[in-house]
Amino acid sequence: MAMRQTPLTCSGHTRPVVDLAFSGITPYGYFLISACKDGKPMLRQGDTGDWIGTFLGHKGAVWGATLNTDATKAATAAADFTAKVWDAVSGDEILSLAHKHIVKTVTFTQDSNCLLTGGNDKLLRIYDLSNPDAAPQEIAGHTSAIKKALWCNTDKQILSASEDKTIRLWDRTTMEEVKTLTFDTTVSSMEYVADGEILVITYGKTIAFYNALSLELIKTVEAPAPINSASLHPEKDFFVAGGEDFKLYKFDYSTKEELESYKGHFGPVHCVRFSPDGELYASGSEDGTLRLWQTAVGKTYGLWKCVLPEDLGAENPEQLYTTPPEIKA
Amino acid sequence: MATPMSVLRLPKGPDPNSRGFDPKSPRYIALCRPSVSTSAASGADAEELQKEQDARTVLRESFLRCLLSMTSKKVQFHMHEKVKVEATFGASDIDVLNFQVSDLHTPIGVQKEALIRCQDVISFTFDT
Repeated sequence: MAMRQTPLTCSGHTRPVVDLAFSGITPYGYFLISACKDGKPMLRQGDTGDWIGTFLGHKGAVWGATLNTDATKAATAAADFTAKVWDAVSGDEILSLAHKHIVKTVTFTQDSNCLLTGGNDKLLRIYDLSNPDAAPQEIAGHTSAIKKALWCNTDKQILSASEDKTIRLWDRTTMEEVKTLTFDTTVSSMEYVADGEILVITYGKTIAFYNALSLELIKTVEAPAPINSASLHPEKDFFVAGGEDFKLYKFDYSTKEELESYKGHFGPVHCVRFSPDGELYASGSEDGTLRLWQTAVGKTYGLWKCVLPEDLGAENPEQLYTTPPEIKA
Repeated sequence: MATPMSVLRLPKGPDPNSRGFDPKSPRYIALCRPSVSTSAASGADAEELQKEQDARTVLRESFLRCLLSMTSKKVQFHMHEKVKVEATFGASDIDVLNFQVSDLHTPIGVQKEALIRCQDVISFTFDT
């Protein structure tokens, strides 16, 4: 019997959720951080969505948030012209890195020693976290605000997406531009999948997949609505996308076929990411919520429990329930 | 029509009274440095560090002896939200996360056996 997707809604933010990121798998499970225009990024347990803590300190909208692989550190990028590094276990602010304009994106290297930032001042900056007082290395070149920056090719290269409608690949050592991709419109999101060196880019209604090393196009897929973010499953069998029509779409990566679409959010979807084990994906929306969705609907995982019809009358019926239909405020 | 997937409960939301990062969580206990850190190892000399360690030893021993002397005595616990309860102290668990007590007097009656969560306790007093 087919089961219908029951998303888990994580409430707590009071303004749109604009970015989210998962950590790697740690001995304590995996974690999720959300960036929100309310200025208060939150850390959650990745498989349940349970709130763990809120990073307090930013004085403006937080546009980007990330965790290092073992979820011991968090970094956030905000409209208060700072990027901050946090202890993700205690919630304490470790570092505040002043910028000259709104910071939009932050990302750690795999060893957590360096932090890459980018924002409205059009510069990419590399901070050495073991020497935070030292001036960061700066990479200039973009002619408009940087929306997203990431490390790739085992942190030897940098990819940046900008409002100047380009995505540029930079060499970290020489700090020079290696390659540029130009589009007709600003790219709305970028995701890097290290295993397989795949770059997932969204623009307009398109989800495009590129080889992250050569920047050669692998394939493009068209969605029914403008897409703001997409994420490829770790095993590269599916990808999910969300955008302006509030829905989440699930596609088969090989055949490009649209498999499912899910309603749930009350506003445009700004970000979507698969968990590191691929069992669920999280979406952040203009409606201020994060939602967790099962990859394989019907599987027992996290807070989802597979209940066979004959079990539904037994012992503790209150233990299990389906989430009531959403009530519009 | 397909049956909606069942859910054990909804994700827990933020605590309105705190910023979270529970110091009693296994991850915090395993990964965080103690709240009272030693003087910077580079700055202090060995003698200073030894004095500090001696002081820690004295404080720890006196705390443990206090717990020992409380056994089977009536103890008053002052807790958050202006809660004051009295109980007969039994034992503490090894990480001082919970106290086992008997005959806990609460506004809704006497609980024969109970566990008091240490993070809820502000202070406790007893007569030796």
